[in-house]
Amino acid sequence: MYCLLLSPLFLTLKSKLAIRQLLSRLVVHTAASFTENMVSGRTSFIYFVKQANPTVKTFIEQLEMSADALEDYGILIGKVNCSEETIEKYCTEEEVMKKIHLFRGPDVLRSFDIDTVFDVNAIVSHVLFAVLFDEVRCVHTPAELGRVERAAKGTADVVMGHIRVLGLPEHRALMEAAFVYGAKYQFVQTSGTLLLRHMEIADPSDVQACLWFLHCRTVSRLSEPCPHTLMRKPLTTINIHTFLQLMEAPLLTEAAVDPAEVDVVYSHLNVPVIFLFSRPETVHLDRVTAETLAWRLRGEAGLVLIHRDNPSVKTPLVYNAAYRLPQEQSLRYFTLKNVEEVVTLLRDQLLPKEREKQDKEEEIEYDWSGVGPTPLFADVLDDEVAESVYRDRGLMLDMDKVPELTADTFSAAVMQHGLMVVLFYVKWDAVSMAFLQSFVEVAHALEGVNGLDLASVNCGEWTDVCGDQNITSFPFVLLYQPGEAAQPYRGMLGAESLHTFLLLRQDPSPLELSSLAEVASFLEGDLYSRHLAHSPVRVMGLFTSADQGVAVFVEAAKSLRGEILLGLFVNKVADAWTDGHTVSLPALLVSRGPGVQQEAHTLLPSTSQNLAERIRCIVLDTFPELTVENLPWYLEQGKPLLLLFVGGGEGPLMTQPLEEMRMAQSVGQLVDVLPCWIHLGRTPAGRSVLKAYLGFVPPLPALVLSRIGGDGEVFHFPPERPLLSKNIVQWLQRIENNQEQCAGAIPEVAWDPPVPFYDFLAIMDEEAPGYAAQRSPKVKPKGKKEQPAGEARQEAGTSAGRGAEETRQDVEGTSAGRGAGEARQEKEGTSVGRGAREARQDEEGMFAGGGVDEARMEEEEEGMSAGRGAGEAGRGDVCWKRSRQGEAVEGGDVCCKRSWRGEAGGEDVCWKRSRRGEAVEGGDICWKRSCRSCS
Amino acid sequence: MELILCFICLLSLFSLVLTVPGDHHGDNSTRHHDYCVLGAGPAGLQMGFFLAQSQRDYIILERNSGPGSFFKRYPRHRKLISINKVYTGRRNREFNLRHDWNSLLSNRPNLLFQRVSRDLYPEADAFPHYLSMFEKELGLQVQYGTDIGRIQASGFGLNGNKSYILTDQNGEEYKCRVLLVSTGLWVPEEVHFVGSDLVEGYESIPTDPEEYKDQAVLILGKGNSAFEVAQSILGRASRIHLYSPSPVRLAWQTHYVGDLRAVNNELLDTYQLKSLDGLVEGGLEDIAILYFTLSELLDRQDGNRSTAITAENLPGYHDDNFSLRQPYDRVIRCLGFRFNFSVFDGSACPPHSSTARGRLPAVTAWYEGRGTPNLFILGTAAHSRDYRMSAGGFVHGFRYIVRAVHKILEQRYHNNAWPANKLPTSQLLPWILKRVNEASGPYQMFEVLGDIILLQGSHCEYLEEFPLQALPRFSALSGRHVSEHGLLIVVMQYGLNRTDTLGPGRAESEWTKAWKSNFLHPVIYYYRTVPTEGDMRRRPVGWPLPRPDAVHHMVEDFLTEWDQPVSHSQPLRRFLEHCLHMDLRAFYAESCFRLSLTSRKPPLFCRQGYLNKEGFVGNSHLWQHAREAGLMPTHQGSVVPGDDGSFSDCLSHAGADMTSTINF
Repeated sequence: MYCLLLSPLFLTLKSKLAIRQLLSRLVVHTAASFTENMVSGRTSFIYFVKQANPTVKTFIEQLEMSADALEDYGILIGKVNCSEETIEKYCTEEEVMKKIHLFRGPDVLRSFDIDTVFDVNAIVSHVLFAVLFDEVRCVHTPAELGRVERAAKGTADVVMGHIRVLGLPEHRALMEAAFVYGAKYQFVQTSGTLLLRHMEIADPSDVQACLWFLHCRTVSRLSEPCPHTLMRKPLTTINIHTFLQLMEAPLLTEAAVDPAEVDVVYSHLNVPVIFLFSRPETVHLDRVTAETLAWRLRGEAGLVLIHRDNPSVKTPLVYNAAYRLPQEQSLRYFTLKNVEEVVTLLRDQLLPKEREKQDKEEEIEYDWSGVGPTPLFADVLDDEVAESVYRDRGLMLDMDKVPELTADTFSAAVMQHGLMVVLFYVKWDAVSMAFLQSFVEVAHALEGVNGLDLASVNCGEWTDVCGDQNITSFPFVLLYQPGEAAQPYRGMLGAESLHTFLLLRQDPSPLELSSLAEVASFLEGDLYSRHLAHSPVRVMGLFTSADQGVAVFVEAAKSLRGEILLGLFVNKVADAWTDGHTVSLPALLVSRGPGVQQEAHTLLPSTSQNLAERIRCIVLDTFPELTVENLPWYLEQGKPLLLLFVGGGEGPLMTQPLEEMRMAQSVGQLVDVLPCWIHLGRTPAGRSVLKAYLGFVPPLPALVLSRIGGDGEVFHFPPERPLLSKNIVQWLQRIENNQEQCAGAIPEVAWDPPVPFYDFLAIMDEEAPGYAAQRSPKVKPKGKKEQPAGEARQEAGTSAGRGAEETRQDVEGTSAGRGAGEARQEKEGTSVGRGAREARQDEEGMFAGGGVDEARMEEEEEGMSAGRGAGEAGRGDVCWKRSRQGEAVEGGDVCCKRSWRGEAGGEDVCWKRSRRGEAVEGGDICWKRSCRSCS
Repeated sequence: MELILCFICLLSLFSLVLTVPGDHHGDNSTRHHDYCVLGAGPAGLQMGFFLAQSQRDYIILERNSGPGSFFKRYPRHRKLISINKVYTGRRNREFNLRHDWNSLLSNRPNLLFQRVSRDLYPEADAFPHYLSMFEKELGLQVQYGTDIGRIQASGFGLNGNKSYILTDQNGEEYKCRVLLVSTGLWVPEEVHFVGSDLVEGYESIPTDPEEYKDQAVLILGKGNSAFEVAQSILGRASRIHLYSPSPVRLAWQTHYVGDLRAVNNELLDTYQLKSLDGLVEGGLEDIAILYFTLSELLDRQDGNRSTAITAENLPGYHDDNFSLRQPYDRVIRCLGFRFNFSVFDGSACPPHSSTARGRLPAVTAWYEGRGTPNLFILGTAAHSRDYRMSAGGFVHGFRYIVRAVHKILEQRYHNNAWPANKLPTSQLLPWILKRVNEASGPYQMFEVLGDIILLQGSHCEYLEEFPLQALPRFSALSGRHVSEHGLLIVVMQYGLNRTDTLGPGRAESEWTKAWKSNFLHPVIYYYRTVPTEGDMRRRPVGWPLPRPDAVHHMVEDFLTEWDQPVSHSQPLRRFLEHCLHMDLRAFYAESCFRLSLTSRKPPLFCRQGYLNKEGFVGNSHLWQHAREAGLMPTHQGSVVPGDDGSFSDCLSHAGADMTSTINF
């Protein structure tokens, strides 16, 4: 069974059997041999014994047992009897008995308390961990994991083990795997619950140890996440090995033979094999389904897609799936309805059954039978709007308040009323139908408002009405008022936005104010206080006389009607309102609600359009709370966002950071960024944003700089630092100087089609060869021949005695028809034959490929150990790089100058991450969290 | 055996011709016009409307005193078989034109044929009446009583190209920069054989059934006019035999309205129920068509005539159950009509078409006569492009062809590019659905006219009803530029038609098998570049267009309403996504908010809507649906407590060692 195993692992297994009767590999050093050992540069694990007590005796027994295991990894285990040999420093050390040292050459790589390395598992895991210190990354937070992933993308897959407690067999298994596969995969060790949650483990407290495979190698874009697979078996060396083999095995194998004849690598890896049957007409979708399923079951089962078009597939048509359990020859057939069922079948029924060996098969068979064969793919809507509208298809909208206008009633309706708001929609557009709901809501909310009516036009029926109104997009809202051209509603298509717009629009714009008292009332909110909830911002045009461009202001105000409340005060005493502001009239005065400092802006001569734009710009908040409704206005500015995420209540926890931000802003330090905040209670989508930025949701409040318009880098204000204005400014300064490490990146998502293309042409070519093929250039086209072959054939079977021309044509037609038919048959025949051959080749290819893989892996291991050897032999600062094959190669230019000596000396190595995500020495960010702190 | 009959025949075809000479007096001076339209039939008036609408200098020359004079005479039995379905249950004017085969296109919503008749198969006089109403209400420039007897080409004209000089019966000349020939088909198709002088023509037979009482009648032809005659005399004639080379083609089987319509097919019943009527197929060339008495036959043998016909080589001599061995009282020719080539001078004469046995002029894909630049053929005479294929020989088809030709004229002579709707790409899907659900042009002129969508990244241009065969010349004809994003073409098509028209399995309902649809359904072709002439020539057998880079069939719909989200809309969206290389899904504002902050460039829908401050918000009820479907993230525990200690906790917990329980 395990003959495929690679040699180091095989040795490991052997060592597990621990033939203890054999001579112990524990070397008892003399002073001379110790010195020799130091000079040889070998890695050795040496215990200095001064006196023997029972505890030490037990420990030495354990040490002897581990000597066999560690020898496989080139690590010598030795002891020095200090009572016989005196070795300076070590034998004379205090508490010498409590320590054991790991040497590389003359240097101590690490010292351990013998409490920590109390048995074979603990010894092996800790020693390997220390030796592999640079190979295995220690990761605690999703952000750290994100960095590892980014570095690995496109180059290597990542194996991440969660070890709750170090020194247990699981830890040893992980370390042994890391030793063997370290050159092939990036190993990551983690502990703590934060990452478990990040990896979607429902109950982190339940988990002792687990392992994930992160498929980063095939991810080409930095923005894409690495898909990951959880190993669902206990962490043992064999399980890890099998799991990694499975990860290397093809996701999906395709075959065109009966499942009984299929022999795939999965069968040798002790996992169930699931067969799905594909019909030629749905082969593309079936493949998609199979791939989806394969991803779901990756690591738990192998998946084979069987092409039914081959005659050697004998499975009855009623079944569309089958499975074979490991170590069993028989197949079981069933009919599945969707992917979910297979997953349930496998997880809940097959795997437990495998363990319990209870025979519930008939019951299972019964569950699956009785359902006709269904296509493997499901027609699921993947558009959130279309799907939600579709789920609502039973809903009857109450259209009482939104009468349906027709070609006959339309013109009368838009002429008669004060303000007629008309929604143009088409029924097949999901957005239209969804917005219709909001439109009806608004109609109900505005019921009773005089001179304001809402109506709708179904453009699917009244196409000429919509054509006359130049409607080219749906849904579309037009406002009609007698004597004015129809005005399009250009705002958010939502009940609240439209409602606010229509309410504000009720009032004239601008509102002409005649006295200072009225102005005060307008600005402070008494006048039109009913709008306060909708739009607290008011803008006031102040003019001393009418010739100062009042007309332009009035024009601009008209175009802003409904958007912003505008007042106009033309009076000699108008300048009374600009007291305390350094502006001269004409001017704009902006009030953001009662009690807020008003702002004044000088009004320069311009066109009404420019002025309207300027007013839109002026009313924007300088420290806005970003919401779903207002984000586009602020994003438009193109500045990096200095984004404060707050949550919870309205207490000081929330208001204080806001104040600090305002303070930083008021001293003019935040000019290059847009300071803003998101309240996660009011804008829950912000949570997803935060998670996307950092990879996890940090404690709130959290301050983030998002260079959304620029390079897309995201920085996270260190959560341990107090959120004070001076710290914020300092932090921004450090970011500016490239002194801060980015916490994430906003990916460049291409927004390609979300699902694979259903290629009709390919299906035609498969099912009706020649049907969709261009004619060969030699054939001279004749009008008659353009008829489909079928029609020509119909003509063929008619009675005799007809004109020669016709007959000749018919004969041609017939022969053409027959020719085509024959050709098709031939082609079909050929393609079947070819298919079978291909399939056979595939199979062979697969096995051959498997062999190659194995071979390559062996080579790689050699390469790896060679690399390791070089590293050890050199003892100096060795520069490595990983070659494309994943081998560690010496002498790379992208080198991590990780000197073993440096570690031994206990110096902190300072790193920085290069742009490509590699760790480069010489940075100013010091690698504080070395693995030393892990253990 | 007194009479022996053989003959040649052609399919009869409903046609429009303007022939009766008028006697108009005029002076001999030359009159100049940019556009001369020859014939005030439906095609001529239709073109007149478009020329008037674009305020061009045009004249419609008609030799009769009123429009549509063909219909004053034909069909002989005065029942139109073009469908006039007034009640469709719909009020969509464009959609209703799909079922109104007699109206002409105009900008007047009420200028429809239903104003003169509400019968499904109207009385024929209603049609000239309608045409005359159309002409008067639109104030078209028609000059009646002008019989053009000669058409010459002259070497100079617009752009130095040919122009045409028309001479009427009074010698008056009309010099036309562009000549639009819409004279229809007027010359009855005849057969010539010994005794063919005894054959009566469809154009002149008596229409009173009483005249056929107890007569054995042989009708040459198996088209609609032959069956129309048969139907009329069915109750009087003793035997009616229909004779032609090819078997009857039923319009409801072939989807070609020129084939036998079920309106006139009662004879099929009496034939199949053995009531003395019948259909016979007979070849054409080998059998000479003879009509003479036995004595004449003997005379001929003596008289050393050229024919080698003897009693021995007559079919009945050898074959004693020869179908047509019994004599007939009447032989009626119902073989259709041909184009009148005789008025054209050599240089101005378009060649004969290769289809329809050369009865029609050959035209280019944009309906210009081959070899006669600036001379366009419109109406029934232009049917050679889609003969026996689509509806270009009939009012309900060629009215759209005329519109297309007019757009080509506007581009060529006035530099007005083909009208196009500029749409944001996010609006493309609903717009295509709108067209396939209502457009009448591509529906009637299936496989001939198609909508063309020029993809330009975030926007696209939508051109309606372009003649597909002219695609290789698209840019020149339309004045529109095809960008590197390629183009989409929306065509209505019948399917493979391989199954029994009324049999089981005739309709396809699964969208994944849409390409096997048998009934009219929309097909969308995607080309990265405009197909060349060669591509066009080598297109797959039975296809209207060459093999595209991608194709999408929208599954046929029993109700012809392609608006269902799962079967129609989503598959089409996915096809468009493939062609455009972008995600075309719609998103709620909340999703756009999230995507705008977490990706450098959110999906198109968000860019064109949300970021343009016109985002689509939705409501909580709908969001709930989307969340339940797993399409929108849920915000569980959306409010995060400030003292979430998990972060720091984990640091202290991280990597706890297992320590020995051994007591030192």
